[in-house]
Amino acid sequence: MSLSKSEIERYQRQLLVDGWDQERLKSARVLVVGVGGLGGISATYLAAAGVGHLRICDSDSVEQSNLNRQILFTAEDIGKPKAALVARRLSVQNPEIEIEAISDKLTETNVSGLASGCDLIMDGLDNHSDRLKLNKASFDLNIPFVYGAINEWLGQLSLFNPPQTACLACLMPEELLSLKPTPVFGALPGVIGSLQATLALRYLMTGENPISNALLIFRADTMMFETVTFERRPGCGVCGKSCR
Amino acid sequence: MTVFIRAGGQLRVRLKPDVDHYTRKVEVDGEKTIGEILKDISLDPAYVALIHVDGKIKDLAFKPSNGQTITLQPPVSGG
Repeated sequence: MSLSKSEIERYQRQLLVDGWDQERLKSARVLVVGVGGLGGISATYLAAAGVGHLRICDSDSVEQSNLNRQILFTAEDIGKPKAALVARRLSVQNPEIEIEAISDKLTETNVSGLASGCDLIMDGLDNHSDRLKLNKASFDLNIPFVYGAINEWLGQLSLFNPPQTACLACLMPEELLSLKPTPVFGALPGVIGSLQATLALRYLMTGENPISNALLIFRADTMMFETVTFERRPGCGVCGKSCR
Repeated sequence: MTVFIRAGGQLRVRLKPDVDHYTRKVEVDGEKTIGEILKDISLDPAYVALIHVDGKIKDLAFKPSNGQTITLQPPVSGG
């Protein structure tokens, strides 16, 4: 897939990056589920970098309490559907790429259809039970899954790609007991969403997973990054059978 | 033996740290699992999403050795 003159001009600074493969990005299809604090940031950087096709899924509409962290939205957007707003904004930001907006709620029934045909799944969700649905679809369809989550001063991410790696359910198989609403300030999803986008771009261009079987944890209160490793769980309800 | 338990976020408050802002020193009689140690200090494991020791994920059945630091991760599920 060759690049047009306009694309070469637009991407000229990143084309200088060692190992950069713009043509692979142009041919990539990525599903971003949830375009709030995390997904709004990762989708923005994937679009700006020239990922050829983004499928954006979010069933929510903008609320005033989103505006401290979901920086694609303004007070004028309150009440409007996020998926369509983000698709419109990113199309203006980069008209060279294709963007689909889907305002459906993620369910066990529709998740495979949403992910079908994509090279990568980006997690921009705000709850663990939906992440487990996405993780299952990722395993069933053999599509790598860039996980990210935040809470208070903690953020974490990984790239799950079983059977090469464990899956999210190997690590956290059940719903988590967490505070509702989640305590969060805007810069933290900004950091984690940017790291997710970086990980995704690297994976799409090279196939490499620099944090294979590892969780990258950012502690914003101490400004410390920590990597913890894990293994596949043979009893995992999602990917366990393929362990044996 | 002595182990150190470290936690952040909502878990930090439940842990009642005494070494520094995040860490509690716990004296353990003999060899115990992390689950048993948490029970001894009345910390409900339901509030713990992940446990790691020396950079590796562990579960409640893991038996720490003298001087080890056990890091408890609260649920991180927002976006």
